[in-house]
Amino acid sequence: MTSPVRELSFAQAIQEALGLAMAADDRVFLMGEDIGVYGGAFQVTGDLVERFGADRVMDTPIAELGGAGVAVGAALTGMRPVFELQFSDFSTLAMEQIVNQAAKLRYMLGGSVSVPLVIRMPTGSGTGAAAQHSQSLEAWFAHVPGLKVVEPTTPHDAKGLLLAAIEDPDPVMIFEHKLLYKMKGPVPEGHYTVPLNKAEIRRAGKDVTVAAMGIMVSKALEAATKLAAEGIDAEVIDLRSLRPLDIGTVSASVVKTSRLLCVYEGVKTLGIGAEVSAAIAESEAFDHLDAPIMRLGGAETPIPYSPILEKAAVPQVDDIAEACRKLASGRA
Amino acid sequence: MPTEVILPRVDMDMESGKIGKWYIAEGGQVEKGQLLFEIETSKAAMEIEASASGVLRDVTGQQGDEVAVGTVIGRIFAKDEKYTPPAKAAHAAAAKPEVSAHTAKAAASPVAAPADHDAHGLRATPKARRLAREMGVALAGLQGTGPRGRIQAQDVSGSSKPSAAMVKDAAGINREWLVKGSGMPLVLIHGFGADLNSWRPLLGSLPPDVPVFAVDLPGHGKSPLTGVPNIDTMADAVAGAMAGEGVSSAHLVGHSLGGAVAAALSARLGAGARSLTLIAPAGLGPGINGAFVTGFLAASSEAALAPWMALLTANAEALGPALVKTTLRQRKDMGGAAGQAAVAAAVFPEGTQTFSVRKHIDAFAGPTKVIFGLEDQVIPPSHAKGLAGTAGVHLFAGVGHMPQLEARAAVGRLIAEQVAAGSRAGRNG
Repeated sequence: MTSPVRELSFAQAIQEALGLAMAADDRVFLMGEDIGVYGGAFQVTGDLVERFGADRVMDTPIAELGGAGVAVGAALTGMRPVFELQFSDFSTLAMEQIVNQAAKLRYMLGGSVSVPLVIRMPTGSGTGAAAQHSQSLEAWFAHVPGLKVVEPTTPHDAKGLLLAAIEDPDPVMIFEHKLLYKMKGPVPEGHYTVPLNKAEIRRAGKDVTVAAMGIMVSKALEAATKLAAEGIDAEVIDLRSLRPLDIGTVSASVVKTSRLLCVYEGVKTLGIGAEVSAAIAESEAFDHLDAPIMRLGGAETPIPYSPILEKAAVPQVDDIAEACRKLASGRA
Repeated sequence: MPTEVILPRVDMDMESGKIGKWYIAEGGQVEKGQLLFEIETSKAAMEIEASASGVLRDVTGQQGDEVAVGTVIGRIFAKDEKYTPPAKAAHAAAAKPEVSAHTAKAAASPVAAPADHDAHGLRATPKARRLAREMGVALAGLQGTGPRGRIQAQDVSGSSKPSAAMVKDAAGINREWLVKGSGMPLVLIHGFGADLNSWRPLLGSLPPDVPVFAVDLPGHGKSPLTGVPNIDTMADAVAGAMAGEGVSSAHLVGHSLGGAVAAALSARLGAGARSLTLIAPAGLGPGINGAFVTGFLAASSEAALAPWMALLTANAEALGPALVKTTLRQRKDMGGAAGQAAVAAAVFPEGTQTFSVRKHIDAFAGPTKVIFGLEDQVIPPSHAKGLAGTAGVHLFAGVGHMPQLEARAAVGRLIAEQVAAGSRAGRNG
């Protein structure tokens, strides 16, 4: 039986998932800066502190490395911590615990322990938060064996991926694009999960594959609508899981369309799209490529504070549409 | 980078040729312009000159071999150039001299210029390479429509689309479905002195899934000249050919003289004309390069014809010597240029265009585009001025009288826009 579905915002969907997990499992608890009484920098945790108390919705000091250490330790003892980093940029401070401890302990201790830790991070540009609060660092973590990295793009997936992450025995990093928090969409009531290793085709098409992630998925869908009016039928894939990458879904699509555009907000060089591009060149889709693989990524610069430059530093709808036109018309 | 010796297309219907003899032996010294080898086609023998100076190496096509058009049959290394063994692609093509049906079709392009080669051999996408492999098509004979001449899938698959048998009846003009399919077709009308085959290089750039119908104007290609040649009788002839194929509505595309015919045809078809694309069209003003018309018609040798044909494009060498040969041969097959001379005398007497199709263009209600190259030396691009403001005028820098060849991809895109716009207009109306 399918659960009733209503419209929730992306932030509400996350809050609902947190509430459900905490109600179902005493081991689940939240940590983060200003997530208690204040309700979180982006109001994601909201009134959860009133429902579950300050022991399970813990405000942490402005000390990300310490917070991450506590979370890793708690996870090792069998707890299920969900740690919010106020901005994904601050993960740099917690790097040692995430990369050297959380990602490695299960391996180094011969599988005798696991680290069921979830780290949630608001990410990306578009809010005028400037160079130290606007980065897209997904690729850093997707480079580390032992971590899982996902980035939901709909309220439905924000809830389902978070529930799956909390239930997963290993550390999962969840990137949440800030511009998506207010986005509304259908969300089923009750418990469900979305797999941590599957991409999703958001729009089927036959002329060009757009493999996008994060906020770029909605931009790609907007571009696809424009292109449809011009007779170009774009297939938009939401990569969703960045480690492991679901190359099979992209490859099957490229076999169909013969053209691939990767779109990501992170810096273009050595980004997620670079990996997708290389993996497709190595895949069975290679012999089906009828144009060079194209990438649209962030500019090779810190995210500027000026709103005009901030926009110019990351791919926009028109950039995506123009790249698709080039690919589809054999001009790439 | 050695210069490849490629079996050229020297005859309109030529799909393959037999190597008559080599004038220069493997390892021999050759000068540019010197006779290099001889081709025997089904109709005649033809001598081919060396396109570069140097040492002839890697001769793979031997006397008596039947070779597909476009096959690499040898390489010329410049004096100081170090010898390197043939690249894989060239090798594969040369190692399989036998002609398959696909190979022959693939090479059936009137401008037999091979795709550009880079230092690593042929430029082709992985998909084009796979399709060529599967279909037994030699990539070397294909015209690449991608950037820098890159061969794309459409260049391979388009080349193998079954072209309908020639359709011709006593009363009508010669016509052919260059691309079969269902839906609203494109009707292509060539320019003065050309024929329907002249559109083939553009086919790969046209929107996919759109059927393409082309005609030989009276006195051109395989259409005899009947009746009084003028724009109206030619438009009638094309309308007749369309009716003979059951085509009552179409997107019209015409080049030069064919542009004027297309405009006149749009008035005849009424709502059946869905869009009008005129490439370097005649009939917009009195001026035309009379010396070109006269010189082009009078030339009876390659030496005489080549300089005139060089005027057609901004880059004098864009058309290549093969088209000069083909044009002459075709003229011989037609029993001289009398038919075309009669057309020229009627529509371009004394270097003047005696007719105007402006009223037809201004009266046409559908999407209209006029395309000119700014380096056009046959019809002044300034003729595009003064049309109704609703007509789009597209001017290409560095392009001459043949935008459909010189700016192939862009013209293909403009035609695609016409097809899209004309289809929308059709739904609304």
